[in-house]
Amino acid sequence: MNMEETIANYKEDFDLFSTADEKLEYIFDLGKRHTTLPDEEKNESTFVQGCASAAWLVGECQDGRLILRGEGTSEMAKGMLTLLLDIFSNRPADEILAFDPAKLQDLGIIELLSPVRQQSLEAFLKMVYAYAQKCKEGV
Amino acid sequence: MSSVMKIENLQAKIGDKQILKGLNLELEAGKVHAIMGPNGAGKSTLSKALVGHYDIEVLDGDITYKGKSIVEMEAEERALEGIFLSFQHPVEIPGVNNAYFLRTALNAKRKHEGKEELNAAEFLRLMKSHLEMLGMKSDMISRSLNEGFSGGEKKRNEILQMLILEPEVIILDEIDSGLDIDALRAVSEGINKMKDGKRTFLVITHYSRILDYIEPDYIHVLKDGKVIKTAGPELVPYLEEHGYDGIEEE
Repeated sequence: MNMEETIANYKEDFDLFSTADEKLEYIFDLGKRHTTLPDEEKNESTFVQGCASAAWLVGECQDGRLILRGEGTSEMAKGMLTLLLDIFSNRPADEILAFDPAKLQDLGIIELLSPVRQQSLEAFLKMVYAYAQKCKEGV
Repeated sequence: MSSVMKIENLQAKIGDKQILKGLNLELEAGKVHAIMGPNGAGKSTLSKALVGHYDIEVLDGDITYKGKSIVEMEAEERALEGIFLSFQHPVEIPGVNNAYFLRTALNAKRKHEGKEELNAAEFLRLMKSHLEMLGMKSDMISRSLNEGFSGGEKKRNEILQMLILEPEVIILDEIDSGLDIDALRAVSEGINKMKDGKRTFLVITHYSRILDYIEPDYIHVLKDGKVIKTAGPELVPYLEEHGYDGIEEE
């Protein structure tokens, strides 16, 4: 399943819910699958700057594919990280770099996020694209 | 006969009044057992005693489920083990969302069975598939549990719970009361969907009408706190014609 298909699947899930609260609760629900990072990986270089609550993102390149792992500290961050890692992780760096992040709007939840959370998302995406660029360049 | 539940000499009271007076009954696994009897015979008391309802005090006797005594078990433990009761008068719980309630119940059962919990989207898909079959409106998902539901909606909601929880022993206490013909048909369809030759049904009813839809294997007549007769479905028309007065204790 590629990134767009993954988004389409999540959109189908979110469309099941009729209210914003239900959609947000589903994000929290996704956070139950959230995993943590070992302490040594939580440092300045993996810290998501500008995130509303502390979060870290580790990117590793394996044969041209970007593997992402992250940890969030709030329920919202845990849920969003789970969702975003499903979309962005374990993809060829080229696929990520060619992906237009505006397509995330299709999920129908971005507008439900507070301005601070939307900034957090931008900070996350900035890191993802930086990791993908490095992966492509073989750095 | 492969028995799933055995009730021996069950004596139970509600308040100061003894209702069950040495009731014996064996439920054959995978079969539909109908309990019929006059008002006050103890039909609802029996159903409550089987699920461990707090109204009931068991004075003597035993109930074994899959070979294990359950008389001392809490109601929630019996539910986790697969015993389900559809209430004659389902309780209204304002402020408790129907979907949350059902999902919490289902996930508690799945956890008990060592299965993964369903997330909100997975659960909603499951719930919606059943809603349609039962002819229930989609706003039932987000409404408070039974609050402001009509009699028919409450009964359909009980059947929805049954379909979602997939219990092994299903006790239906007057599921047909207050239902119009369409609701009765939808409810019966839900029940028939669950008949798989493994699940066992105990259908408590006053009327034979529902038994036209859910064909019973056994008819047990309950009178004055005891099962006085057990027969095949051929007993139903006799009861319809003659009532319970002519039935003598076997």
